[in-house]
Formats: sequence, structure tokens, C-alpha cells
Amino acid sequence: MTAADVHEPRTGFRWSWVGYAVIAVAVVAIPLMNNAIELRQQSRLILALLAVLGVNMCIGYGGLISLGHGVFIGVGAFGTAYFVDDMSMPWPLAILGGTLVAGLAGCLIGLPALRIRGIHLALVTLGLAIVFRPLLKRIPAITGAGGDRSVEASFDAPSWFGDTRYANSLWQYCVVIAVCLLGLLLMRNIVDSRMGRAMRAVRDNDTAAAVYGVNLTQVKVLTFGISAAFAGAAGAVEVTMFPFVSQDNFEFTRSLNLYAAAVIGGLGSLWGAVLGTSALSLVPRLGNLLDNLDGLPLVGWFFALLRSDTFVFGTALVLLTFLAPGGLSRIRRVPSLAPVRAWFKRRYTLH
Amino acid sequence: MDIELLLQRIFDALFNSAIYSSLALALVIIYRSTGLLNFAQGEMATFSAFVAFVLLSGEVPGLTGGEIAGLLPGVPWPIPLAVIGAVLFGMIAGAATERTLIRPLEGAPELAVVNVTIGLLIAVNAMSREWWGTSGRLFPALFPSDADDYLGIGGARLRFTTIGAWLTLLAIVFLLGLLLQRTKAGLAFRAISINRDSAELNGVRVGRTLMYGWALAAGMGAMAAVMSANAVLLDANMMLRVLVFSFAAATLGGLDSPLGAILGGVIIGLTQTLVPAYVPWIGFELSLLPPLVMMTIVLLVRPQGLLGTKRVERV
Repeated sequence: MTAADVHEPRTGFRWSWVGYAVIAVAVVAIPLMNNAIELRQQSRLILALLAVLGVNMCIGYGGLISLGHGVFIGVGAFGTAYFVDDMSMPWPLAILGGTLVAGLAGCLIGLPALRIRGIHLALVTLGLAIVFRPLLKRIPAITGAGGDRSVEASFDAPSWFGDTRYANSLWQYCVVIAVCLLGLLLMRNIVDSRMGRAMRAVRDNDTAAAVYGVNLTQVKVLTFGISAAFAGAAGAVEVTMFPFVSQDNFEFTRSLNLYAAAVIGGLGSLWGAVLGTSALSLVPRLGNLLDNLDGLPLVGWFFALLRSDTFVFGTALVLLTFLAPGGLSRIRRVPSLAPVRAWFKRRYTLH
Repeated sequence: MDIELLLQRIFDALFNSAIYSSLALALVIIYRSTGLLNFAQGEMATFSAFVAFVLLSGEVPGLTGGEIAGLLPGVPWPIPLAVIGAVLFGMIAGAATERTLIRPLEGAPELAVVNVTIGLLIAVNAMSREWWGTSGRLFPALFPSDADDYLGIGGARLRFTTIGAWLTLLAIVFLLGLLLQRTKAGLAFRAISINRDSAELNGVRVGRTLMYGWALAAGMGAMAAVMSANAVLLDANMMLRVLVFSFAAATLGGLDSPLGAILGGVIIGLTQTLVPAYVPWIGFELSLLPPLVMMTIVLLVRPQGLLGTKRVERV
């Protein structure tokens, strides 16, 4: 087990309180600062937390490298759309159904993970992420012609909540916040449970874990399944806000962004998932700030890159591997160049 | 079944096979010496192809003609020179990547290297996309590719570009063989592949040798990208499909076997063309599926691939 798994004695300043305060302020401030349409966009960004949690669990606690969790968001979204429209289920049941289907898909995809490990599993899941979009176009019965379908059933606020467009968005926002809190709570309990300990044991050394009586098959398949269900829930709830589900939204870059967010935030840490999701939603906004620098010759050329959020994510992924290997959530002080310096020292002194 | 059509499809497939084999070979060179998969191999290659494009057209993103005139002498360059330029650029970039991003991670967990190569994949892809846009660009052919530049065999057309791609691949393999078997750097490379620690104790400069390996791999990738840019249009996502096909090829042949990479490339190229042609449900769009399924099955049933060496794991 790594040091991070052992509960460290709580000394010094409790950063988590700052975190709770920031989250509380943000949860209240976001609906006040946005109009109906913007609020819906914000809700969608926050909802990504569930998917990041899933990836975080799969890689950070389970040690299964997945580059394809965007696929399960898609399964959850299309599943929910199918249940609510074609089978005319009520929304809560349809969302639950979509989540379950994504979880089952995860268990299925998790089966190869019993034998395929590490970097090879990353390879298979990346392939899955790339093949997912064309695959969607092949099952029009569920995903609509060309992999696009609209959802007829609307998800409206109850009458006591109001019937303006803003009230509707606010209701959806509240649902998203509730679902995310529920997800966080559930994830905390899962990783602290017997199952969570088994997962970490398998991650660190699966042979040793098996010797201690951990059922490898069960743990690996469930790790993949549960994490996929989390991603699927994100997709399922998204359908309530955006009644048009399209294969366009499930480009492989979405999976890679999820992976980047989970790693940048900090694997194997729930705060990491929160931070990673924040990065996922804040980075595209930073790009807008850079617009002022346009028009400068070479500088503008470079800043054009910074406006691309995927570029920022990719670069951050590379840089953080060196500067903060545990992700943002494990930074205890200002990142230093100490690891780099230490490496140079190791390399260029006699030993 | 129409034999002529089948033969034609096989000939068409052989072109793709050559591309996949080249990139798979690049992946194998790195895997063999370090046990790493370079997820950014394809994107680095695409970027090199864009460098060739700049040398050929003189069109630099974000800069007007006046600003660029002094920077690049004699643009537009002739195709062979531009390709050599791109391959050299790729090699330098590959070596620099190894030196600055991979070597410091010596002894770090596997995930760290995956992070760096995936980060590179995302970042380099975004770079190509931001600078050159997503619209495909025409890329000139390296070999004669007019309508009547083909060899008729049994009623089917074996195009000169296909022959050229295979000659290039064989030349690369031949040079690589010479390099590995006849030079000191090649000897060092083989020693590292067999036992890195012992090689280091015997005075082999591991870091430097691996850097050469990365340079070679990136150069091969650049060559594959330049050839494939002519066949499809040059755009930022061009090598992504190719990368997955090449991964499948390398896995199928055995990740540590150069010969396996070529065999895998041929098999994957044929599967990717023939299966969609005869199974309408799969079609061109899903042509990734059969190779992907094959790769998964190989990893499940025979992880060492067709020609690779079996690894025994110790606890």
C-alpha cells in the first residue's frame, strides 16, 4: 500500500475545510450568476464529476488503466433515452436503467481486464473509445438514424417549483447537485469498504491479493462495472437537460479528457476527482481571457494554442507527471522543481 | 466470388499494410528496448507530415508570406527534400522527447509513462488542429500516381504507390538490420533489449542508445505519415486510425518482434480492407472493429503474439 492509502494523522491546516467552503459558495453562487441557458451548461460541466469519479476509481483505486470511459457515458445516455421514450418509463426509473446498462457494459468490458493488464488494457480501451462512434451508427433501433436521436419526454420542474424557463434550469441544476453529492458519498463508502480495500490490494499486487483470499475475477469485473456505472449515470442525467443525444458527443477525445481530468486532479483521491472536474470546466474559460492577447505576432500564434482546452490538458498531463506526480489534490505546497533537480543530481554525480 | 475484384482489393490492402507495418515497426523498436508503448507515435508522425507540408507549400499557420520568407530558404522545396526534412525533424523531435520527457521517468510507475505519452497525444493533436485546422489538405505523392501508373496483374492493378511504399518499407528494414547487426550502436541496442541491467553494468550507454531508438522510431513514423498523407488527405486526426491499426498489427505479430510487426501489418491491412468489403454491416466506418477484436483476442489468448517471446512473470 502506498502512503496515500493510510490515513495520515491530521496535523496543520485543514485544507479540506477550505474545499468545503469553496464548494458551498460555488453551489449557491452559480445559479445566481447565470441565466437559464448558461445554468444548464454549468450543470452539464458539474455533472462530469460523476464520470471523473468513475475513472478515478477505476485507475486510482483499481489500478485498471482505462482510456475509454467516455463510452460508458454514451451507453448511459442512449440507454436512458431509449428507456424513457421507447419504453415510456418514468424519468427516475429510466435514469436508473441507463446507469445499470452502463454498469453491465462495464462488467462486460471488464472481463478482458482479467487477463489484459496495464498498458495493454489502456490500448484496448483506447481502441474501444475510437470505435464507439461508428458503432453507434450501426444500431439505429436504439440510437436513432445515424446515431442521433432526440428525446420526446421532457424533464420539467414540478409545479410548486415554478414553470419559468429559469425555474426549469434551476430544478435540473438541483437534481445534478443532488446526484453528484450522492455519487461522492457513495464513492466514499465504496472505497472505504471491504470491496475498496480489496481493490487497492489487487492494484498493488494482484497475486498477493489472491493469496490473501481476494476473488480477483469478482473484484476486477466489479471495479470496471461500478466505475462504468458512475460514468453512465453522468450520461443518464445529462439526457434530462439536453434532449438530443448524438454520437457527435462521444468522440474519443471525451474519453481522453476524462482520463486527463482524473489524473490531473489526483488519482485515488475523491478531492482529486473534484479538482479534476473543476479543471475540466475552468480551463476552457481561461482561454477566453487570452483573447486580449490576440493580434500580437508570434505571441498570438502561441496563445492560439492555449485557447485550445485539449492542448492545455495534454500539456498539463505531461507537466504534472513531473511537478506533482500525485495530481493537484496531493500538492501540499507550491510545486517545486525539487524532483527534477534530484533527478539531475542522481544522474550527474558519482554514485 | 469475383477473383479479379478480390485480387484488386488485396492489392489495395497491401498499401495500407505497408503503412501499418512501418508504424508498427516503430512501436516495436521502442517496446522492445523499454517495454513502453508510445501512444503519441501517430501524432508525432502527423506533425512531421505537417512539417513536410510547410516545406512544400511555404504556408505557415499564423504567419503571412513576408514574415516567413526569411525563415525558410528556398520554399517550396521539391518533394524528396521536403520528406527528408520532415523525417529529420521527426527524428530530432523523437530524440528530444526521449531525452526530456521519458528518461527522467526511469523507474517510475508504468502509469507515469502512459500519462506522458497520452498527454503528448492530446497536446500534439491539439497543436496540429489549432495551427492547420481540421480540413484535409492535398499532399503530393512520393511515387508516380497518375491514373495509368500501375502494373496489371491478372486483370487487377498493382499501383506504383503501393510498390513504392513496400520498397520504402523493405529499405527501412534492410537498413535497420544493418544498423542492428553491424554497428556498435546496434549491438548496444540489442544488448539493452535482452538485459538492460547487465548491459548497463558492461558500460553500454543505455540512455543515449534509447534516444537513438526513439529517433529511429519517430523517423519511421514520419515516413509512414508522409506516405499515408498522400493516400488520404492530410489532417490532424489522420494517424489516429492508423495508430490503432498499427497497435493491432504490433500486438498480433508480437510486441517485441520486428518481423512480427510486418507480418501483423500485412494481416491487419488485409482484414481492414477485406472484412468490410464482404461484410456489409461493417462497412468502411467500422473497419476498425475487426482489427480491434483481433487485437483483444490475441492479448487474451496469446499475449506474446504470433512471433513474440513469451514473458514469464515472477511474483
